[in-house]
Amino acid sequence: MIAPEVVTGAFVCLMAVFVALCVLIAGIRGARGYRNRRRERIAAPVRPLLLELLCADEAEQGWPLLRLAEMDRRTWKALEPTLAEMLGKVSGTARSGLVRLYELRGATENAVCELGSLRANRRGRAAQVLGRLGHRPAVPELCRLLADHDPEVRLSAARALGRVGDARAVPYLLESLRGSRAVPPGTVTRALTLLGPEALRGIAAGLEHSEPLARAVSIEVLGATGAVSRTTEIARALRDDPHTEVRIKAARALGRLGMPDGLEPLMEAVRPGHPVGLRIVAAGALGSLGALAATGPLGRLLGDPDPHVAATAARALLRLGLAGEDTLRAAADDPAGGPAAAHARAALAEASVGSRLDVRVEVAL
Amino acid sequence: MARVLIADDDADIRDLVAFKLLQSGHEVTAVEDGMAALRALREQPPDLALLDIRMPGMSGLDVCRELRAAPETATLPVIMITARSQEGDVEVGFAAGADDYIIKPFSPRELSSRVNAVLNRVER
Repeated sequence: MIAPEVVTGAFVCLMAVFVALCVLIAGIRGARGYRNRRRERIAAPVRPLLLELLCADEAEQGWPLLRLAEMDRRTWKALEPTLAEMLGKVSGTARSGLVRLYELRGATENAVCELGSLRANRRGRAAQVLGRLGHRPAVPELCRLLADHDPEVRLSAARALGRVGDARAVPYLLESLRGSRAVPPGTVTRALTLLGPEALRGIAAGLEHSEPLARAVSIEVLGATGAVSRTTEIARALRDDPHTEVRIKAARALGRLGMPDGLEPLMEAVRPGHPVGLRIVAAGALGSLGALAATGPLGRLLGDPDPHVAATAARALLRLGLAGEDTLRAAADDPAGGPAAAHARAALAEASVGSRLDVRVEVAL
Repeated sequence: MARVLIADDDADIRDLVAFKLLQSGHEVTAVEDGMAALRALREQPPDLALLDIRMPGMSGLDVCRELRAAPETATLPVIMITARSQEGDVEVGFAAGADDYIIKPFSPRELSSRVNAVLNRVER
């Protein structure tokens, strides 16, 4: 039996910890609020100048630009977070005015120097600012930070490289997918997608990468950016890659690209004997492709022993138009149809109530 | 000169849009959420409303639907503001009755031109 004094003592201790935590949270919030208000107060006199710069034509930006560039260190420090935020909110002459302000003030060069700071938050913040500025000379340094020991810095560097949009970053971004200091694939995919057409050659070279994840990410980016000229390479990956995840990405990309070259490898990939995940995605991709030649193979899949493959094939048939619907009706009306008839009827019922079920099955890597 | 209402929870955007429209000679009322926008709209109906789609509490879409449901504001021109990452909102915005949309990041000059274009269209 526990003595009442012990219970009371424990309760008092718990209450003390709770109160201390509340005070700490309130203190942190209060300090943050005070800091923000102080920053706003210091920046308030120059805020109209900033708005003038953002709203001016290029020819009229000179005066507010010079006045802002001359502000004292304390005011700059208070205004700079707003400037960095604004870089992501405005475009056109407003954005170019901000970029010129950073350059005139020497803040761009400072940010480049800060990439080598000993403090991780400074390196991350500098990467963020340089990314928003689209500062191409910083690309080699940002690539180096992809292997930083701090995960937040690695993320900031990858995002910044995407924003800068320099094709030189492609091999580094793909390489950053492996090892103990890897960057999450979603971040690398987004960064590569932002790089633009000049990076396509490098991304396509990623199909030969020794790391399966790098190949999968390359294929996903090629599919997402509509790189139709790379259909042959992606079709080859679907046929020959030893890793199922890479083949699944290839099947989905071929469906997205919608090129006729994708038809044959996708029809091969839905056949029994391939991994179920791949067959499901390939069946959905055949629906996205919209080729009438896929009607027969998809119709045969209605009776597949795997219910997911059969259901995806039924929905894919709906996307093939009248020919697909005819195939579904024939299967639905077959008295000895069994599960195939059931899948066909389910798909037709979904279509009749106007539900737009997406046939693409997301199989995450 | 027209009366324009801006509803955006982002103070930077609110100030920037207000500054640009004041420069263009419009009269501007700026509020930070959907409820305040509805109140302002009922108190003194503007000639045009600029609504951020994503706002805490009542969204710009909800405000737009309310405007279209009330006879006195059913034809009020509405421009929606949305972020590039939320472009799917554009379709929903039009369905809710918006006349135009602006995607962030935007150029203040382009925003001013769009506001004037919508106002001119309504005048005609």
